[in-house]
Amino acid sequence: MFILITILFLFAAALALAIFQVTQPNYRFGWLIAAGGSVLAWAGVLLWQAQMPITLQLPAWGATALFANAPVFVADQFAWPYALALATLGLAVIVSAAARENFPALFSWAGTMTLIGLGLLATLADNPLTLVLVWAAIDLTELTTHIFSSNETETNGRAVAGFAARLVGIGLLLWAGLESMARGAALDFQTTVPQAGIFLILAAGLRLGVLPLHLGYTSDSAVRRGFGTTLRLVSAASSLVILARIPAQGISSPLAPYLLALTSLAGLYAAWMWMRSPDALAGRPYWVIAFAALALAAALRGNPAGSVGWGVALILAGGALFLASIQNKILNRVLLFAGLWGISALPFSPSARGWESAAETSWATFIMWPALLLAQALLAAGFIRHVTRPATSTDLDPDRAWARNVYPIGIGLPLAALLLLGLFGWDGARAFGTLPASLVAGALTLALLWLTPRLRWLNPVRAHWIRPQESSASRLDAFYDFLWNLYRSFGRLTESITAALEGDGGILWALLFLVLFLSLLAPRTP
Amino acid sequence: MSAPLLWIFLPLSIGAASLLIRRERSLSMIGGVSAAMLSVLAFVIPIDEALSIGSFSFKLAGSVIILGRSLTLQPAHGSLLAILYGLAAMWFFGAQTLGLARRLVPMGLAILALLVAAIAVRPFLFASVFIEIAVLLSVPMLVAPFQKPGRGILRYVAFQTIAVPLILFAGWLLSGVETSPGDVELTAAATAILALGFAFLLAIFPLYTWIPMLTEEAHPYLVGFLLWVLPQTTALFAIGFLDRYPFLRLSADLMTLLRDAGLLMAVTAGLWAAFQRHLGRLMAYAAIAETGFLLIALGLGTSEGIQLAFMQIIPRGLGLTVWALSLSVIQARAASPRFVDVQGAARALPIASAGIALAHLSAAGLPLLAGFPIRMALLESLSRESIGLAIWLLVGLLGLMTGAVRTLAVIVLPSEKWDQRETYFQAILIGLGVLALFILGLFPQAANFLTTDLPALFQNLGQ
Repeated sequence: MFILITILFLFAAALALAIFQVTQPNYRFGWLIAAGGSVLAWAGVLLWQAQMPITLQLPAWGATALFANAPVFVADQFAWPYALALATLGLAVIVSAAARENFPALFSWAGTMTLIGLGLLATLADNPLTLVLVWAAIDLTELTTHIFSSNETETNGRAVAGFAARLVGIGLLLWAGLESMARGAALDFQTTVPQAGIFLILAAGLRLGVLPLHLGYTSDSAVRRGFGTTLRLVSAASSLVILARIPAQGISSPLAPYLLALTSLAGLYAAWMWMRSPDALAGRPYWVIAFAALALAAALRGNPAGSVGWGVALILAGGALFLASIQNKILNRVLLFAGLWGISALPFSPSARGWESAAETSWATFIMWPALLLAQALLAAGFIRHVTRPATSTDLDPDRAWARNVYPIGIGLPLAALLLLGLFGWDGARAFGTLPASLVAGALTLALLWLTPRLRWLNPVRAHWIRPQESSASRLDAFYDFLWNLYRSFGRLTESITAALEGDGGILWALLFLVLFLSLLAPRTP
Repeated sequence: MSAPLLWIFLPLSIGAASLLIRRERSLSMIGGVSAAMLSVLAFVIPIDEALSIGSFSFKLAGSVIILGRSLTLQPAHGSLLAILYGLAAMWFFGAQTLGLARRLVPMGLAILALLVAAIAVRPFLFASVFIEIAVLLSVPMLVAPFQKPGRGILRYVAFQTIAVPLILFAGWLLSGVETSPGDVELTAAATAILALGFAFLLAIFPLYTWIPMLTEEAHPYLVGFLLWVLPQTTALFAIGFLDRYPFLRLSADLMTLLRDAGLLMAVTAGLWAAFQRHLGRLMAYAAIAETGFLLIALGLGTSEGIQLAFMQIIPRGLGLTVWALSLSVIQARAASPRFVDVQGAARALPIASAGIALAHLSAAGLPLLAGFPIRMALLESLSRESIGLAIWLLVGLLGLMTGAVRTLAVIVLPSEKWDQRETYFQAILIGLGVLALFILGLFPQAANFLTTDLPALFQNLGQ
């Protein structure tokens, strides 16, 4: 019930905002409704700590023999950090919206709150069935938003392609559940068998754009700072949460080392692109992919708490950075130090357990360590550059002086939550972590900062081989072209068969196929 | 008063009388309202049981004898009649917005009544005759006056007609099996001929070629109606055979055959759909896959499988209604339903485009939509037997999903400014259908009150 009430605060406020947008577009108290709903939801999430684990089970779909599971939501120590991160992000978006140019934007706030509500439900999902339902809701929302907000053929095409990739992710998650069922385990995250873990990893990797490396959406999509940040980060959080549900004994698959190697390289590339992005918003997809790669690698090493640590760092440090649009020296310093702390993996930071490992050493480990340590350093260096030298910033409307006081709270909230999660509330809090790894990453960050003004190739350019925009062909295109040609070949084959079956001799062909089919199925006699 | 009179002869008479009416709107209202009333009555009035309202007591007899044959409706038929006539009402109301009421309502009511008769007739073997009459009646519905029938229609009639003698012959052989159950050869021959007959009747692979051909030749809304009502009733007829003859019901080989045939249909339809560029044919392949899902459910050989087969009735009917209506709205404003002619349709027809995309995604089993719970239950049941079987089903669903994503990619291409050119009535009907798809996707148990009793129609299988 506690869960339901918290989520209802968000959905009710969103509904009220949508109604006011239609009936009274200039309604004066819209922001107060949004902020009130967000504060109540945030406080609700914080209060879950008092009674965790909390369960919300929806009515069963039918007989147990037909539907093994009903939708179930559980707030536990792995879900709670994500839930708090998302609730904080939602509140930060609404609070900082006071200083935006498009204030008031009731529809946008309603969308933000709906997405945060869906994101919370995704983080609390206790079985694949529940998670795929929420994923589908998020994906449809995202697709609809992009289609309505874009007039470019390329953007719409990529939105549908991204949607398709996410659908495959949904299919893989279902496969993981079926794999568990086939081995006699229930279709939930508590009893997932190790053989199913690989499908969870693949599902999350595909949805996050890490495996294979791809950008679901262009970086300069029409939705930018407030709603766009929510969309990107909620989507990432809803996928990352399953990494915390990977069986503690790790992944039982011969594919695991290959995935670890691929993930590490994808993380390194994305972190490199992040550091060289012209501004934080342009680099946002790379920020998500790079952190997702760190989280995926942690899960592949049998370290779910570490994956949660990287995940909340992605949402909170990233959220604060992407929402910051107004120049304020003190705020920028707070953002810089608190954000860096969050992603540093230093003791007592939320990402402290990020470098722990429970998996056996394999050949991929020797690729993973240097690649991901460098990736962390690149992320931190990029973070510093984007905070200290923002490409775009706006001045506050002098008529809205109250916004000047409210805006820093909006940016400060995610940073405060970042510090809080390092100390309180879940398994990864108050952890010492792997100090040598974080120190190496720190040293590499300093080296990169020193080298950046000295080496031209470390400075921002827009050269991509995974092509986020309408630029020339990328190197991965060869692979996708191959797949496309394969698809077209199959298409031609099916066209030929269809022509034969539907043509003049179609009936004879059909009867022939029928006889063949029956003879194949007929019991064999000696 | 008897139940067959109310749910067979009355709609038949209304259908015949409505041939005399020429106004589209009046026809649609007559068809829609009468079907809706019959649906409500089926839900409210118990068959063969006394209904007391105050001092007034009333009993609707379940049987009527005609020419030595009986038409019998049991109490458990009530829910089925409510579903069939309720969904038919949606089809009839939708026909008016497309100017198709004159073709759909008279024939549609007659076809529905005949198919109900097929369910009710005793001895049940005569059902094949009623189904054949319904098939023949559907021809004037599909082919516009003075239009030459295409190859698809000819093949449809031919295949359905071939099925009748095969089933009747198998029935005759089966009566011999009942008298001498030890005759293995006779049993095998009867089973093989029966399977062949149902392969034609249910359009099992590779005999389903007429379905996509038909969607190219006839109006998609009318084909949609047929694809909704015909396989559903035929499947009930097939279940009747399984229920009556223990050697069929208990045959592991037959169950495997049903399951494999269903999987083959789902996989081939999915693969074919993945490469289609014609919106009508995509709907056809989805309908074929749905029949495959039905066979898989029956092939499970359990009471849960039967329950699952019945649970598919509403999502299937609802999905096809939304799909056919949306497709018809788009086709009315495009040169053809080919991808090349419907690019950017979402800008001018956003509701119809959303309808077609969501109905397609529902058929492919997208979570949140009505088709998902059934697909999920099927996948779970198959994975308990073998993960390989579940993967084959996933392949079929992936094919359907590919078709849906390609449709989506084509219709959302930016071509012009956003506008809404559907009529209000079209938008409301499609909108309500889409809403129902979401409700049934999230709360499939909402329809359980209609489907829970249906397995009781079959004394042996339903237990």
